[in-house]
Amino acid sequence: MKRRQAIRDMALVAGGILTLPAWARAWSPATLPDRTFFTLTTYRDLLSTVIGAILPESEIPGAVSLGVPAFVELMLADCYPKEDSDNVQTGLRFAESVAQRRHQKAFAELPLAEQQGILTEFEKGDDKPLKDFYGLVKNLTLQGYTTSEYVQTTFLEYEMAPGFYRCVPVKQ
Amino acid sequence: MANKHKFDAIVIGSGISGGWAAKELCEKGLKTLVLERGRDVKHVTDYPTAMKDPWDFPHRGQVALAIRQQNPVISKHYIFNEAAMHWAVPDAVHPFVEEKPFTWVRGYHVGGKSLMWARQTQRWSDYDFEGPARDGYAVDWPIRYADIAPWYSHVERFAGISGNKDGLPELPDGEFLPAFEMTCVEKHLQKVIKENYKDRHLIQGRCAHVTDPQPIHTEQGRVQCQHRNLCVRGCPLGGYFSSNASTLPWAAKTGKMTLRPFSIVHSIIYDEKKGKAKGVRVIDTNTHEMIEYYAKVIFVNASAFNTNLILLNSTSNRFPTGLGNDSGLLGKYIVWHNYRGRMSAECEDFMDMRTVGKTPNHSYIPRFRNVFKQETDFLRGYAVGVGGGRGFDPDRKGIGEDLKNQLIHPPLGKWGVSAWMMGETIPRETNHVRLHDTLKDPHGIPQLAISVEWSENEDKMVKDYLEQMTDAFTLAGFKNIKATDSHANPGADIHEMGGVRMGKDPKTSLLNEWNQLHACKNVFVTDGACMTSGSTQNPSLTYMAITARAANYAVEALKKGDL
Repeated sequence: MKRRQAIRDMALVAGGILTLPAWARAWSPATLPDRTFFTLTTYRDLLSTVIGAILPESEIPGAVSLGVPAFVELMLADCYPKEDSDNVQTGLRFAESVAQRRHQKAFAELPLAEQQGILTEFEKGDDKPLKDFYGLVKNLTLQGYTTSEYVQTTFLEYEMAPGFYRCVPVKQ
Repeated sequence: MANKHKFDAIVIGSGISGGWAAKELCEKGLKTLVLERGRDVKHVTDYPTAMKDPWDFPHRGQVALAIRQQNPVISKHYIFNEAAMHWAVPDAVHPFVEEKPFTWVRGYHVGGKSLMWARQTQRWSDYDFEGPARDGYAVDWPIRYADIAPWYSHVERFAGISGNKDGLPELPDGEFLPAFEMTCVEKHLQKVIKENYKDRHLIQGRCAHVTDPQPIHTEQGRVQCQHRNLCVRGCPLGGYFSSNASTLPWAAKTGKMTLRPFSIVHSIIYDEKKGKAKGVRVIDTNTHEMIEYYAKVIFVNASAFNTNLILLNSTSNRFPTGLGNDSGLLGKYIVWHNYRGRMSAECEDFMDMRTVGKTPNHSYIPRFRNVFKQETDFLRGYAVGVGGGRGFDPDRKGIGEDLKNQLIHPPLGKWGVSAWMMGETIPRETNHVRLHDTLKDPHGIPQLAISVEWSENEDKMVKDYLEQMTDAFTLAGFKNIKATDSHANPGADIHEMGGVRMGKDPKTSLLNEWNQLHACKNVFVTDGACMTSGSTQNPSLTYMAITARAANYAVEALKKGDL
């Protein structure tokens, strides 16, 4: 971390403050057509529950406490065609209906293991829209989690400027 | 007022070759105007994403779908991600006509594509310069290796090129800083190739990275490459060569350079009485005014296709079809590089080793087909880029705490090996660019119609590459070998060249051995447009050397009163 900070400072000293000029914003999402994603907060909460079931909290922070749900929602809103994001809403509704049918409870009220069981059925089942729904949410969850600052710097050896590339023996 | 518009030299374009023209001309004392159609990009301060971490990008690099859909051309390219898209030109900014599919990647900002390039810098040898004369495609180059070798050295020392002295006649050694390290799998493949093929060599790629800064680099304010591998965002350390980090500030320091961004060159003004060019017409993209600037000598470095466009649009009574176009060949004999063949494989040896850190470089197999004589059923050949490393490979199945553990304590995967071809395309008259009859760009300049396509020679070459590399990978014991033809559009390589080719005879070429238009001697073309043939090396180093050589010639000729 110190090394990265040092390099950052060096760049700042070399050329002044790094600011984002107007032209750099020309491509920014602010110029996108407004696409409200979740019209109901129930979907937002349900998505968050699903994401929390994929990578739950323990002594090591899970996906929810690392802010992954907001990332997944942003990706669904900006980077995927409407049919894909609509299918996520359909999938969420279906997960909720399975919970109600089997346990007469909201999906969010189920024990973690039951939630994970339902999602794993989707993953391993033959229903393509459900597989696609869960596959997309899971992929985005894993992407958001593994690229978070916490996971990158705590576990994944993130170095902005390693200063080398070489072969080393694997630590036993 | 008039005086403010008069210069000794005008350089059109601020990319890799324009930057070199500016540096050489200013150093020799010429008052030089450098014109750039896009915005200014100051070294360090105008690299907005250079110090960002992965989690700083809201979409982790991915570009929003609506923007991709609005920009089908540029969205095919790897720079089109959240970290580097500020260098991309939105399709609507400068429309062109894809008469046949062509991915035209452009850099409309100070520094041009020198900020976005892959930084590979391999010299040409005489075997490359002599290709066209041997098989009769295109015309003979008017220069040979001996003409350009000292200029390769000149630009290499200043730019900073890392590499090994490999002693290969087909890929001459240069002025090298220490090379990057190869991985153990690359070294293994190197050994296998050496043992099995007399004509092939796997070497470390030579690239424009300062691995051991010399006083000339420190004086430019550049420091040692820190292996960030974020080069495409612009390097605040100046770890790699770009116009912005290197040639342009050097030219500015002389006090002789005027850099004018937001300046699209409409055309070059030909003086019918004097029989030479007298200046350029510029459209200021902020005010939409047409302004004229005058100079004794003009360097056209607008990037290969835009250089063609400017010359084609520079018509006069003397040159009704474009400046210097007595031969009628302006815009023709376009070449590019064939990157279609792709290999991937796994290696299950060396499992007690792994790679750490990052590399901005890779290994390289210089061209081995048809180098010394014609030996295959296709003409010319290909070089090969090779990379092999070992990273993490978590099991992404499962859910919950087990999955989390896989992600935060990921096991090492197998070694991944990849290779890609860089093939020569044959110069053909039918592969051409020209002005569209009716369509205009937003500034009223005719759009460029691009009519370029693959031919059977390239198909055969891809097939040979895939076979040869499959054999080499098999000999190396690699597993899960995959060989694919991407069928990518021409242009995706960003190595488009030609249209204003050099040659000995004004009847069959546009430029002489000093890169002067045969018919208008004070106009020099030294970017990719000048290339008679393309060979297989990444072309930028050759543009730099050709530009420095021509600029020094121009200064001497001016002194003698020849221009």
